[in-house]
Amino acid sequence: MKPAKFDYVRAESIDQIVDALDKGDGEAIVLAGGQTLMPMLAMRLARPATVIDINNVTDLSGIGIVGDELVIMACTRQAEALASPLVREHAPLLAEAIALVGHQQTRNRGTVGGSLSHADPASEIPLAALALDASVSLRSVAGTRRVQLADYFLGPMMTARADNEVLVSVHFPIMSGGAGSAFHEVSERRGDFAVVAAAAIIEVDGAGICTAAALAIGGADATPRRIAALEDKLQGAKLDGALIRSVLPEIALAVAPGDDQHAGAAYRLRVATNLAERALLEAFDGARA
Amino acid sequence: MTSDPGRNLHYVAKKRRVREDKRFVTGNGKYVQDIVLPDTRHAAVLPSPYPRARILSIDTAAAEALDGVHMVLTGAQLAADCNPIRLGLKLPGIKWYPLAVDMTRYAGEWVAIVVADDAYIAEDALDLIEVDYEPLDAVVDPEVAFAETERFVHPDHGSNVLYHGNFVWGGVDEDFAAADERLDLRVRWGRSATVPIETFGVLAQWNEGTEILDIWASIQMPNFVELMASTLGYPLNSIRLHQDVDVGGSYGVKRGIKQSVLAAYLSRKLRRPVRLIEDRLWNMAGGDAHGPDRIFDTQVAFNKDGVIRSLKIRALDDAGAYPGRAPFQLAKPISALVGPYRINSVQYEAISVATNKTGQVPVRGFGQAPTNYMIEMVVDAVARHLGLDRLEIRRRNLIEAHEFPYKIPPGSEYDSGDYQTVLQKCLDLARYKDLLQRRDRARAEGRLAGIGIVTNLEPGGGNNIFEYLMDPTAEITTFMEGCEVRVDSQGNITGIMGTTTSGQGHETMFATILGEELEFDPDDIRIVHGDSLSSLPTRSPIASRMAIMLGSAAAGAAGRIKDRAMAIAAFNLDLPVAQLEYSAGTVSDRNDPSRKLTWAEICFIAYRAYHKLPEGMEPGFQAQFVFQVPGGGKLPDENNRVGIYPCFSFQAHIPYVEIDPGTGRVTVVDYAIAHDCGTVINPDIVRGMVIGGLAHGIGAALYEKFAYDDEGQFLSATFADYLMPSVHEIPDVKDVEHCTPSPLTSHGQKGSGEGGYLGAPAAIASAVNDALSPLGVTVHELPMRMHKLEALINEANTK
Repeated sequence: MKPAKFDYVRAESIDQIVDALDKGDGEAIVLAGGQTLMPMLAMRLARPATVIDINNVTDLSGIGIVGDELVIMACTRQAEALASPLVREHAPLLAEAIALVGHQQTRNRGTVGGSLSHADPASEIPLAALALDASVSLRSVAGTRRVQLADYFLGPMMTARADNEVLVSVHFPIMSGGAGSAFHEVSERRGDFAVVAAAAIIEVDGAGICTAAALAIGGADATPRRIAALEDKLQGAKLDGALIRSVLPEIALAVAPGDDQHAGAAYRLRVATNLAERALLEAFDGARA
Repeated sequence: MTSDPGRNLHYVAKKRRVREDKRFVTGNGKYVQDIVLPDTRHAAVLPSPYPRARILSIDTAAAEALDGVHMVLTGAQLAADCNPIRLGLKLPGIKWYPLAVDMTRYAGEWVAIVVADDAYIAEDALDLIEVDYEPLDAVVDPEVAFAETERFVHPDHGSNVLYHGNFVWGGVDEDFAAADERLDLRVRWGRSATVPIETFGVLAQWNEGTEILDIWASIQMPNFVELMASTLGYPLNSIRLHQDVDVGGSYGVKRGIKQSVLAAYLSRKLRRPVRLIEDRLWNMAGGDAHGPDRIFDTQVAFNKDGVIRSLKIRALDDAGAYPGRAPFQLAKPISALVGPYRINSVQYEAISVATNKTGQVPVRGFGQAPTNYMIEMVVDAVARHLGLDRLEIRRRNLIEAHEFPYKIPPGSEYDSGDYQTVLQKCLDLARYKDLLQRRDRARAEGRLAGIGIVTNLEPGGGNNIFEYLMDPTAEITTFMEGCEVRVDSQGNITGIMGTTTSGQGHETMFATILGEELEFDPDDIRIVHGDSLSSLPTRSPIASRMAIMLGSAAAGAAGRIKDRAMAIAAFNLDLPVAQLEYSAGTVSDRNDPSRKLTWAEICFIAYRAYHKLPEGMEPGFQAQFVFQVPGGGKLPDENNRVGIYPCFSFQAHIPYVEIDPGTGRVTVVDYAIAHDCGTVINPDIVRGMVIGGLAHGIGAALYEKFAYDDEGQFLSATFADYLMPSVHEIPDVKDVEHCTPSPLTSHGQKGSGEGGYLGAPAAIASAVNDALSPLGVTVHELPMRMHKLEALINEANTK
């Protein structure tokens, strides 16, 4: 468990990061909190020619409101995001998800952007961000582009980020004050990656009609998945428990879970449905006109 | 040899600080990685990616050419220079070398080893070794392995069966014929183990001048030095194992023989110290990591009133590729094969098979935990069958306090116990009536809730006569432990033990007993670990034996120190010994306390004044004591009946669990345990053992498994896949002690290092089955992972 040789660059600015990435010619990798990359290096599963350490880049850390978006810079620690009143107020679903990421010790190092860059299909931050319609800002020497998360996750640990790009910030549309949201997951032990997870957001009007709905499922496909057909059936409907339960079969039509030693496809599908039911009911319960 | 139970204890059983804590908490522990020798070389190993493959060729040239690499060794080279590692059973067709020779037998088996200037270069060199493998179909399923007639893990052995024996103790057929009912149960114990924080590590240094091989290792193993010597072909007195190395966890698994042979061999070749510290991947796949993996098929005969009369047990154990001492983990549980119950007869068919998996090593309890799990599941099945309460069936079958010592059919004599009282203490602690209401309320609210009830034994003391049951040429009738006590010329006391310690607090235990016997503050007594050339015989801290064995040896040596002090005083005061009284080192005349010799005076005489020593007494002030296992020393009788372990600790466990029906996830909400290990020498140490053991058992019950796919690929090489419970998964345990002293030990103590683990898996399984009982389903396979439980629940609900 000793890494293979690599060159180490300690970047002091975003410009230095993208320069180094550009020079890296696809063989450079960004080190943020290191919660995944360091073990990958130690096990020689990752053998980059260059490691670009971005922990000194102060511009990449921080949380703020810009226009109608909550913006979290990529290298912001998960612990900081979890403690942030802005996150609690404007994206409570994200706070709920981050509380389930690892443990206090790992959240002190792990970053919000790192989680999104790693793109584990069962991880919590990508799932919550997808449900929240977030987008990411990617920068290279050629400039900056914005990518919706729906277009960003391409497969397990695969994203639309090019080799010469660094994830700079994550942008969350501010949740409506009346929206209810909930995050439910199951993991073998507290702090593990979820085996299956569900994130839901519900908005209702004064008549109890659903004006907005989001359901995202993690751990049941190659990427986190929004269940659009289910959301469509909820929107415009007068919600109650029975109606919510009636739309759950849409999940099975939308996801294609796999098998591993920890859970089979049938388990993931049934549990995704169970967790979605809990998340939707709780989100509905929390929604107010 | 129990001392007067009525006497007033000063240190034993008192809550006193554990002396080892200071060095661990202040960062002054000394682990193998902390030992630094100049010019040390670092080793890295190349694991096989295939569970079973022929090694056609190994090209090491590029690795050897790498700057900073000193040597690359393959199995073929090594085998030419050393003997195979001796196995527990005599199996001449199985040759176990530290590196694979000609064939790999499990995924992760070490194929080559590199020695370099540092560990980074060593791993770089691994990348440059080219091995040409011819993959072969692996033997994976133990039942297939047993029946296999052509595909053998060890072709020269001509079978995958390592051991197959059948024992009958008592009138099994008669008892089955006479019983009202019988039932069959299959239970399966998953492949798990103890997983230490510190992987195995070794530092070896051959000294050509002294012709001594010095070994510092993270070791916990009897016969380690003997095995090293026989493998390397050295005389025993050429190997010096330094036993003052702290061991970062073990509970059986720290064997380290192949690792240490490699480091020793390379050190002698290179004339440099060589260090091999396993990383977690090497450890989990190819080190000493995996424990028993066992299928039990048990038939039980019982009466309608719930009285269990007889058992027929078939145990099939998957030993993996190299058996080591694995088959014996089927034999040790014979010491308590009927648990704490009055069962009249028992049949035991024990089968150990080889498969293409990592070789099995000893784990906490040496096979007792799976056996206890099986026994408790059988008792629960009988209760379920009869519609009898699980508590009531235990009350009807537990051996009663007045029946001790109690001889079980296979010959062990349970030394003492009061099982009903301990069970009642556990019920009181758990507030059992309230707990039942709590469970029933949860059920009424639609949750799956269950209570576990388990009573189980922890054999302690160790006595390897069980080897003889499997191999009648193994006439081993002692499993001794020695210690030495020295009093220096200032009167300070030093105890010398002959083994490493891996967190059990032996130094505290040893000092406490010396302090008690000699009436000195244990904190002022120094405890050191001799090396293997300078210390008395030891069999290492296995088998819950150190309090029993080292504790009793300490009392024996202290007694000899006292005898010497009395003799010196008698001679100088011109009084008979019988008229003298010993008190905290001072020896005085019972009739006239002003006539006395102080400790300082006695020490002065011993070291300086030969003319004041009784005639024939050696100068100096020291004593040795080697303690034989109580009740040991005999071979089995013609019916294979033999007393295996001397002391039997007992526990009752009552956990409360809830299961989320939507996910199958189990939460252990509450846990009560009542524990009787006789006299507790240090309460904090025993409590730590009990709770740590429970946590370990919860891991085995719910999470931990070294998994393989159908082709024999290993799936659990990291902690992302081998799931151990963290503090979040362990409830706040309520515990209570009860003391039924053993009549066989110095202070009535019994073993306590294994007990929590020996009952917790069964207790959690009992609770899970209780929670599932409204659905009419049961689970008898560990670990009870959430996906399996959810499938059971879903199936029951959709029926």
